[in-house]
Amino acid sequence: MRTVCFLSKLVCILIGLPCLLTGCWDRVEVNDLALITAAGIDKKTSKKIELSVQVFVPRSSGGNVQQGLNGGGGSSGGLTFVRSAEGLTIVDAMTKLQEKLPRRVFWGHTEVFIISRTLAEEGIRNHLDFMIRHPQVRIGAYVFISDNDAKRALELMPPLERSSSEVLRELAKSKAMLKVTLKDLSASIIGDSESAALPWITELPADDGKNKNNTVPYITGSAIFKKDKMVGHIDDTLTRGALWLRDEVESAVVTHTPKEANGFVSMKLIKARSELIPHIDNGKWSITLRGVTEDDIIQNATNLDLMNPKHLGSLELQLKQNIEGRVSACLEQVQKKMNADIFDFAGAFHRKYPKEWQQVKDRWDEMYPEVEVNFDLKAYVRRPGISTGPAGVSEDEVRD
Amino acid sequence: MIDKGKISAIQMAYIMYPTILATAILLVPAITAKTAGRDLWLSPVWASITGFITVFIATRLNNYYPDMSLIEFSEHIVGRWIGKLLGFFYLLFFLHITAIIIREYGEFIVGSFLRNTPISVVMATMVLVCAFNVRGGVEVVGRTAQMFVPIVLFLFICIVILLIPDLHPKNMLPILEHGLKPSLMGSLVPTGWFSEFILITFLLPCMTDRNKGTKWGMIAVATVMLTIVITNLASYFLFGALTSTLVYPVMVAARYISIADFFEHLEAFVMAIWVGGTFVKISMFYYAIVAGTAQWLKLSDFRPLTLPIGFILVMISIWTAPNLQELVHFLSSVSPFYFLSFQTVIPALLLLLIMVKSRSRQSRGT
Repeated sequence: MRTVCFLSKLVCILIGLPCLLTGCWDRVEVNDLALITAAGIDKKTSKKIELSVQVFVPRSSGGNVQQGLNGGGGSSGGLTFVRSAEGLTIVDAMTKLQEKLPRRVFWGHTEVFIISRTLAEEGIRNHLDFMIRHPQVRIGAYVFISDNDAKRALELMPPLERSSSEVLRELAKSKAMLKVTLKDLSASIIGDSESAALPWITELPADDGKNKNNTVPYITGSAIFKKDKMVGHIDDTLTRGALWLRDEVESAVVTHTPKEANGFVSMKLIKARSELIPHIDNGKWSITLRGVTEDDIIQNATNLDLMNPKHLGSLELQLKQNIEGRVSACLEQVQKKMNADIFDFAGAFHRKYPKEWQQVKDRWDEMYPEVEVNFDLKAYVRRPGISTGPAGVSEDEVRD
Repeated sequence: MIDKGKISAIQMAYIMYPTILATAILLVPAITAKTAGRDLWLSPVWASITGFITVFIATRLNNYYPDMSLIEFSEHIVGRWIGKLLGFFYLLFFLHITAIIIREYGEFIVGSFLRNTPISVVMATMVLVCAFNVRGGVEVVGRTAQMFVPIVLFLFICIVILLIPDLHPKNMLPILEHGLKPSLMGSLVPTGWFSEFILITFLLPCMTDRNKGTKWGMIAVATVMLTIVITNLASYFLFGALTSTLVYPVMVAARYISIADFFEHLEAFVMAIWVGGTFVKISMFYYAIVAGTAQWLKLSDFRPLTLPIGFILVMISIWTAPNLQELVHFLSSVSPFYFLSFQTVIPALLLLLIMVKSRSRQSRGT
């Protein structure tokens, strides 16, 4: 009896085990995947868009040393390639794209999305929805707006990095200009200000005589969005002003001519933080930009002795004025002309004056250009670098 | 008593922590954010009041009937027939709620990771593992919880700490912009979760140090509340108004982590939290159904019931909702009232009844 019982149990187990071996539905081998490093969307016809993806070619990665030996040298092209397809939406285009790729499209490593200017002017909401909804797409991916075709930016073969997507990612991370992720973008569009700013990229012209693909896209300014539509763009100088208002200044160099002498003094920004402080006085809405920056001198092309504390005071003052000038120029464009609240003044007022905010919420568009911006900046020049007097100037010529 | 196993009060806390948290941590931030907006971190604080009350009710009832669970003492309190009927409804209720939990688990795994795997397979395998756990009795459930909770907690803390560079605390201002109402409304859904603490009535009879039951029950409620507050804050600090538009904010948050270019793609952490936590959660509910059914039918052993009930659970979890939208809609609209009435209101009425009864008996005695 006991053996029968044991045998029947054994049979049950033996029958049961193969059920576990039928295979995994979601088994995906890495060599069955087409890893997309970047995606670009262009407008094709009035209805159709073109989706271009930059696909990573795994076999040539890590072979950089060998390539160098083989004389591949300067260029490391061919590590990625670009495929594109047309469709009504991203997903529609993706289906068609999949037909052209032997491996399954995988979005998990996409770190860069590029949207062309023409498409951005019509609105990006539809496309943004896919990026937020698809389970594979990472919400930390960076978004850029391209002056020309997004496809073109993907096709470029950068001399230094492995692909143009890596170039853009590193440029965004360096925070010299805007750094905007999918999360930031969608949060700011639905936020109080209903506006957003995205880094604006253009193609760096290739050197004469070189392959004209052998160059990089780089960030040259910012695209300004109201709701999900692009309303204009500002250049890199104005963008630096915008960074001050957004408290995103990370690295900057300011060069200017001191009043006391001819030539230039350049200062590198070591630390900077800023804060928007809203006020409402008798129905007049204003914002104070309070900022502190600490700088080092990195070049002195004048004959001033910058070890003399009396010059520093004047330098600090001029540094302050320089920043104020940048910010004002930016406000002139973005606040007065485009009427886009990319600095989140709305949020600042909402946080400090919730009641007043509720009243003007619906007509913020009319209020916003009227908001006056005051400055409360402090600039400190901390160190002269590792040399004292101006180099190459004899002691008699140095002015105290 | 049907289960000879013994657990300690601390083990009870270990079981209850993931029993409340496992599903709450993934779904609740988004559901709360919809109604509470930027005050979402206050909602779990209000909701935890229900948790404290429920633990109080459960331990008080246990004082009157130290060796009985909810199913057994309800018969004693309201009489045999009504008690049996009430017990039957409780069993059905627990079947339903467990099926919902299993479905939530399946939906998350299939929706975010195993997109092509049939959901029935994902759910059935989980139920099978839980069945082994439950068959072992309360002692095994307690020990597996003790093993999993530290891991779950560690991973959770890791995620929060790694997120710190990306958090913007100013997102939570202004506090209480529209008064208390939004945060109170938002607390409705977590209230349903906190009322699940009534399950300790199934654990209290097996406890060796029952006098500490209240204390550890309260500690469990407090830690769960704290964890949900931290989760909600972290989600809102990171996503702001976007929180309410995401289905699983914590998972997306974990994906957002990127430290030094190589420490990224951490959603496996969330998966581990989710699988470990729901394993304990399903086991606890499953155990309550199995032990409850055995008590209701006055069986001598609950083990033979384990597998058949597991089978029923998988079936119900498939029937319970046609899609995720329906499931979330149910959770964010009807569920608080449904959960609350079974898990807090009826036990409270039972307690009231027994208190009145014993008092009148006392006065008659003197």
